[in-house]
Amino acid sequence: MLGAKNLAFLCVGVGIKLLLWPAYHSTDFEVHRNWLAITNSLPLSKWYFEDRSEWTLDYPPFFAWFEWGLSLAARWWDPRIVQLDNLGYAASSCVEFQRLTVIASELVLFAALGRFVQASGGTRQSKIAAALTFLSAGFLFVDHVHFQYNGFLFGILVYSLAFAMEGRDLLAGTMFAVLLCFKHIFMYIAPAYFIYLVINYCTVLRTRRRSPVGGCALDIGASAWRLAKLGTAVVVVFAVAFGPFVALGQLPQLASRLFPFKRGLCHAYWAPNFWALYVFADRLLILASRFIPALGLTFVDLSGLTASTRGLVGDTSFAVLPDIPPIATFIATLLAQVPAYVVLIRKGSKKQRGPQRFIQAVVLCAYASYMFGWHVHEKAILLILVPLGLLTAAPTQRTLRMFAVLSTAGYYSLFPLLFGAQELLIKAAVLLIWVLCALALLKSDRGVSAWRCLLRAERLYVLGHIPLFIATELLPGCVFGRLQFLPLALVSVYTALGVTYSWLGLVYEFALHHSHSTHKRH
Amino acid sequence: MAPSSPQPPARQATSASRRAGVIPVDRWFWFLAEENAQGIALPVTLLFALLVRWCVALHGYSGHGSPPLYGDFEAQRHWMELTVHLPPSKWYFYDLSYWGLDYPPLTAFQSWACGWVAHLIDPSWVALDQSRGIETHMSKLFMRSTVLVLEALVYVPAVVLLFQSRHIQVNWVIRQASIFSVLLQPCLILIDHGHFQYNSVMLGFLLWTVYFAAREQYLVMAACFCCSLMFKQMALYFAPAVFAFLLAKCFRSPYGVRLFVQLGLVVIVTFGVMLLPWMGSPAQLQQILIRVFPVARGLYEDKVANVWCAINIAVKLRSMFAAPVLLRLAAAVTSVAFAPSCIHLFLAVKRSVAGQALVAADAAKLLCYALVNCSLAFFLFSFQVHEKSILLPLAPALLLIHEEPWAVNWFVQVALFSMYPLLFKDGLQIPYWVMAIGWSMLRSCPACPADKRTPLAVLNAQWVSTLVMVAIHAANMLVPPPPSLPDLYVVLNVLFSCAMFVLFFAYFNYRQLTLALVRVRATRSKKKDS
Repeated sequence: MLGAKNLAFLCVGVGIKLLLWPAYHSTDFEVHRNWLAITNSLPLSKWYFEDRSEWTLDYPPFFAWFEWGLSLAARWWDPRIVQLDNLGYAASSCVEFQRLTVIASELVLFAALGRFVQASGGTRQSKIAAALTFLSAGFLFVDHVHFQYNGFLFGILVYSLAFAMEGRDLLAGTMFAVLLCFKHIFMYIAPAYFIYLVINYCTVLRTRRRSPVGGCALDIGASAWRLAKLGTAVVVVFAVAFGPFVALGQLPQLASRLFPFKRGLCHAYWAPNFWALYVFADRLLILASRFIPALGLTFVDLSGLTASTRGLVGDTSFAVLPDIPPIATFIATLLAQVPAYVVLIRKGSKKQRGPQRFIQAVVLCAYASYMFGWHVHEKAILLILVPLGLLTAAPTQRTLRMFAVLSTAGYYSLFPLLFGAQELLIKAAVLLIWVLCALALLKSDRGVSAWRCLLRAERLYVLGHIPLFIATELLPGCVFGRLQFLPLALVSVYTALGVTYSWLGLVYEFALHHSHSTHKRH
Repeated sequence: MAPSSPQPPARQATSASRRAGVIPVDRWFWFLAEENAQGIALPVTLLFALLVRWCVALHGYSGHGSPPLYGDFEAQRHWMELTVHLPPSKWYFYDLSYWGLDYPPLTAFQSWACGWVAHLIDPSWVALDQSRGIETHMSKLFMRSTVLVLEALVYVPAVVLLFQSRHIQVNWVIRQASIFSVLLQPCLILIDHGHFQYNSVMLGFLLWTVYFAAREQYLVMAACFCCSLMFKQMALYFAPAVFAFLLAKCFRSPYGVRLFVQLGLVVIVTFGVMLLPWMGSPAQLQQILIRVFPVARGLYEDKVANVWCAINIAVKLRSMFAAPVLLRLAAAVTSVAFAPSCIHLFLAVKRSVAGQALVAADAAKLLCYALVNCSLAFFLFSFQVHEKSILLPLAPALLLIHEEPWAVNWFVQVALFSMYPLLFKDGLQIPYWVMAIGWSMLRSCPACPADKRTPLAVLNAQWVSTLVMVAIHAANMLVPPPPSLPDLYVVLNVLFSCAMFVLFFAYFNYRQLTLALVRVRATRSKKKDS
């Protein structure tokens, strides 16, 4: 699999990532260093209780074990990395070690994408899609500058999806269970997995008679057997992960660490989803109420106005529009996921391009959670873009258009993560290279490049990120005067427009649109 | 939406056969051509070059955090400081013990312009005397970005225009691959954006010199070369070749004398304009000359991979002879070394002018070879050579990368290796390894088994050379040098690199002397055909 071509390609990626070592790293760097220290220095029973640092362990057990494994190497590399009281340790040896673990663990993604290319028959376009995913601006920003281990985690997800494409559903389901025990944010797409596995794997149909109506019946025995196999696999995975903590009676503590419900509707910087537009509309109405008293909005309470714009992780409050309780976002998310279920349940979805449909459902599922979820991070955009990226191996024109718009807006929305002047050039150059390559190299199933597929308005929107960049990043801060939050809000709202547009487009394409023509061709 | 044009069916087959023996850089551009994405080739190359430069700039630089004298970074910043705050009459006199200005006026003007911008942004970066050794995050970013901007203004457009101009007759892929390779050549990136210098400006002006030579605009060519010379006196390494070329052009029968007078005027005016602030007093001009040519410094500084330093390991020349004697010796040997290529250049250009015209493309190519040979002669045999000076022969050599792929690739590899001790001091090991391996992977032949254009003997020799370099590196890392020989690995590096450079010098001379004859005949027969 690792031919000379892949090797050169891998080396270019790894080279850039190595060069990025001295670049900015966020507090997530210290978070993971602290986890190395916790898992190395403390017994299992104290992992989820340790709180000397504010960065407590709040990922599921497999990730803790992963950190434990890394910590063994860290102890050998530089013992000071794994000292519990050595808070904020970021000597060059520590930076080198942690950056290196990210690069090394990302090889899982590389291997997984190789598997995906195999599963798609090794077509040229699937290779391009895989390459664009591996060298995506998202992983470079979030993993190799900001600092996280998404490459490794998404590698497991891609493995799972590739197994599904190969028809090995049991393995796909098990891999996904493992993934959930690494990072629970992947629960966003669990509904798609659940329904897909129930329909595609656990339901075995038996042709009863050769009747013209298509007489099929549920083969209860075989179905139950498969259900038992899948159930056992999942239960075993979860037992391995959580069993020790259940035995220690620490499950409530784990749950409180994994699901902290103290945060606000929007993150400090509004991730570009529906709520960003909602908050923005609220702010616009405040302005309107000032100038047009006739609207009858005089009762507006302006005291809570600045909360969601000043970068506090507190509660978001609204002046005009109604406040949003967590349960409302939950219901909205569930409703928004309906199209994903439709994709899976649709007639004929099992026989024709089943795995394709499954990935579509995963995309829509993740998308719904991103659009309407509670306290969504901008980094969660990867959860949509990675599976959708796999679909660009042989996309319809509309899928490709939506991908182009979404990936530009989505990766651009990561810019505020890297806010330093030093990273300005890096993020701009990386994103430009990626977008240029994606627009020129991705082809629709009729062989039209992504750029040619785009409608004029979409092209304008994509190009609009350039003036947005100039206005929000290059203009000195004093231009905005009192409105210090305006650059961030601009980025958030502008990218939210593209993200929302693509969501509507993809829902139409995947769930509503019957592309008979596509079926004919295949 | 318009349906796409169907793909030409023949393309796949031809490209597959062509790609059989192609290095990865070429393969990338073949791929773009096959995907009908030629439009993004140049933007992606430029952006990637920018990205790599800025990533290297994140790492250490010369004299980082080492008071009281710091290094080249502080020297350049200090010049900005003194040019902004002092009148030109004091530029070459001010506190010479602390990084006194020792480059020609164009560097001083560049420092003044950059210092002026710095003063506008944050006066503390260039406050007179107060700012010595300032290394804040933002001042560092500012300094790094000045290198980037100046390179983008002078060097990059010259590279792109040169390889896109008509005089280089190769296909689109080789053209693009050459631009990519020249822009991502590790040595210049590591010295300018890592170690910290502005060599790209001097070399950029040299490339413009070649560009205008190819376009037969000799007056602009002379002006460009004067700019190069006035930016760094090191450009004198190229002077004999440029002089020989222009002199030969002056022997063109009807307009020769006129051209000669014009060239003289251009040179005098260019120098005059740059020296204008000091024209009033001979003492000032003399001081500039003394600062710019520090002949009192000795045969060589530090360890450099040239012949004198290599000989010194066996024969201690510096203790045997006085400095003036060595200076004369070095001058004589250097002249003998560059004479063949320059005389050949002169004769070839002149003769072809007299008989059948040598086409501008071939004249420019010949000029490139002569520039390589001439500057290599200076590097190997002249007085007061720095290890960074290997950048000078590299620049014209890279213009031949489509003619001499394996030789230039190899040359770059060895040149990079020869700079390792310097880069190690600056804390640039990571960029060094990334760039060295990257260059070998993408460009150099032994790394890619598919390469079939290189002769087998060369491939084997290159393997041996790579192994020697890896072995010296490995020994350096694993085995501490014996206490009696603390510089053992640096000396080994010098010996190996010097030997290789002598070989390259011989090879490029041989290529120049044999190539031009063939070319003249070829152009003649071409003329007959047409």
